[in-house]
Amino acid sequence: MLRKGLAMAVGILMAVPAFGADTIKVGASQPLTGRFAFAGVQLNQGLADVFAWINENGGIKGRKIEYIFEDSGYQVDRAVAVFKKIMAEHKPPMFYGESTGQGKALAPEITKTYKILYGSTSFSSELANPEKYPYTFVSGPTYSDMFGVLLEYIAKNPKGGKPTVAFFYSDTEFGKDPIPYARKKAKELGVDVVAEIVTKVGAVDVTSEVLELVKKKPQYVIIHGFVLSPIPQVIRGSKDYGLDISFMGTFWSMSQMIIDKLGEDADGYMGINPYAYYYETDVPMIQKIRAFNQKAHPDVKHRPNSYLQGWFTGMVFAKCAEICLENGWEITGDNLVKALESIRDWDVGGLMPPVTFVNHKVPVGRVYRADAAKKRFVPVSDWIRLQ
Amino acid sequence: MRIGDFKETYAADEALLRTPPVRFWMAVFGVALVVFPWVAGDYPVYLADLVGITVISALGLNLLTGFTGQISLGHAAFMGVGAYTAAALSSRWGLGLWATLPAAGGVAAAFGLVVGAPSLRIKGLYLAMATLAAQVIAEFGFVHLESITGGIRGINVPPARLGPLEFGTDRALYAVIVAVAALATWFAANLKRSAPGRAFVAVRDRDIAAEIMGVPLFGTKLRAFALGAFYAGVAGALWAYFMKVVTPEHFPLSLSIHYLAVIIVGGLGTVIGSVFGAVFMTLVPEILRGLASLARPHYPEAMVLLSPMTDVVFGGLIVGFLLFEPHGLAEIWQRTKRFFRLWPFVH
Repeated sequence: MLRKGLAMAVGILMAVPAFGADTIKVGASQPLTGRFAFAGVQLNQGLADVFAWINENGGIKGRKIEYIFEDSGYQVDRAVAVFKKIMAEHKPPMFYGESTGQGKALAPEITKTYKILYGSTSFSSELANPEKYPYTFVSGPTYSDMFGVLLEYIAKNPKGGKPTVAFFYSDTEFGKDPIPYARKKAKELGVDVVAEIVTKVGAVDVTSEVLELVKKKPQYVIIHGFVLSPIPQVIRGSKDYGLDISFMGTFWSMSQMIIDKLGEDADGYMGINPYAYYYETDVPMIQKIRAFNQKAHPDVKHRPNSYLQGWFTGMVFAKCAEICLENGWEITGDNLVKALESIRDWDVGGLMPPVTFVNHKVPVGRVYRADAAKKRFVPVSDWIRLQ
Repeated sequence: MRIGDFKETYAADEALLRTPPVRFWMAVFGVALVVFPWVAGDYPVYLADLVGITVISALGLNLLTGFTGQISLGHAAFMGVGAYTAAALSSRWGLGLWATLPAAGGVAAAFGLVVGAPSLRIKGLYLAMATLAAQVIAEFGFVHLESITGGIRGINVPPARLGPLEFGTDRALYAVIVAVAALATWFAANLKRSAPGRAFVAVRDRDIAAEIMGVPLFGTKLRAFALGAFYAGVAGALWAYFMKVVTPEHFPLSLSIHYLAVIIVGGLGTVIGSVFGAVFMTLVPEILRGLASLARPHYPEAMVLLSPMTDVVFGGLIVGFLLFEPHGLAEIWQRTKRFFRLWPFVH
């Protein structure tokens, strides 16, 4: 009996490594717990699913992708530990990190020792700098680019007279990251920045902030550096004062969560998203993603934009590996970076417009507006590409 | 069973390591520490560095809270002050470890003196609130003193230097961290046996009685604050070199609470408890995560569910330890040692 059990156990263990030696490995430290978990779980699922989908469709030139992830809890020391552990055990040539902080902490070692292609959850402008971070890329527009796209939209759609805007941002790295660029860009476009309001993440009492808006009466307010709170409070507060302001958000505050939270007040809330939404069923890539989800996760009704960021980042990793294989290059960090830089007008099935990496980022996005009745975001502009 | 422990000289009586078995095992431990970086992989060395830094910082908090009874919620702030001092000195003027480590400790100690000043008037939970204020003020300072701290983006720290030596990798830094941790432990172990150390304990146990016996209350408390902050500052400086970047997000209030947990789990008012606590609180989550990742090849999806579970298990372990041994791991260690010493004649 025992022997039989052992034999079975051994059999199971032997059967497990379904991946051969010629898999292409991608490592990841994902914030599955901690305060970023709401997005981390989805980002992780997006990456896992896109690799499963690619593998189902024959992999990359016949080679399968192996995705190795671990939870890092949105703490920089744990995240670095996970990175080192996965690098020691699996030596993947590509890695997905959990935060801006992790990217900065690892940068010297990635540049000097590890030399691998590094993507992450972060849209930080600081990381999209090939001179300083040669192996890092941002899988979309940076926060600065997001402001750029929104400001271009505002410049083209003034509500009578000269367009005016207020920046409403949090007192964090995330919040302050794009502000210097945004000031410059607004000046270039002839948009008046009438107020800059800085507040804490999760602030509950926003009366003084709202009064500032009452005083300055901007046509638009770009809110950045928060996920949820205090965005609903500010929007409701300004509605109570009868202000006609269009509030705009950036990537993390453009998910379904905010429409659900705001209810009817969501009407007219705008913002930028660099990827198509899960309910844009006329987009070919979205159709494929939905088909995959119906098969693999039949219970799932909706996927937020963080899932699609994961999906897109996975596509980038796979594309870079594919370019290497096509050219007969060995899959190393240096070659992968070369591959990334060689991508021109890559068709991603409408998930984004044709992709070209500029300074290791994709400075493009689209302005969406919330429709409270339909409970979804609808596009109000075409894709805006920054020069 | 060991019997008889005779001392024939005063020197023997004053020795830190008193018996041959203790000396033997300490020597083995020392050799193991030296050999470790040559045989271990990147990941274990990284964890060892992390444990070392935690040990140094936890020793500081234990001197302050465990020995002197001054509860502090500002330990992360002290670490942060040290980290920024070292980062600023080494990134601007390229100063080496010989200057940055003492400076980091010194500046943190000065900050500790200021934070500790209210301790003459208030104690217990009220003091906790005062130190909490220090934490909040320090966090604000890290963000807004941009000319020194680099604001939100922080400072990128160049590799640690000592003369011609450069400690750029975790493996190289391991030497520095272990040396400093050993020095810190040695100092704390000796302090515990000296008059200032006993004064700390007297203040903790009954401050009025201590004062009547001639222990200057204010001075002793301030000394504890300065010393605890000095340790934290040095640990913070090593952290800066270790992480290669310092941002305000590295030193949140939750880190202060984490350090309180380290010394409580390890054993309040014991030197070895700080070490055990640091090892436990750093390695156990890693081990739990390692166990969870064993499930990966079988059920990749399970990781998503197991990862939050590791936090629950970890929390449960801490509660369990505190229930069964309120004096922490240090006491469990003592009991284990006693068991072997008395074996087989345990009454």
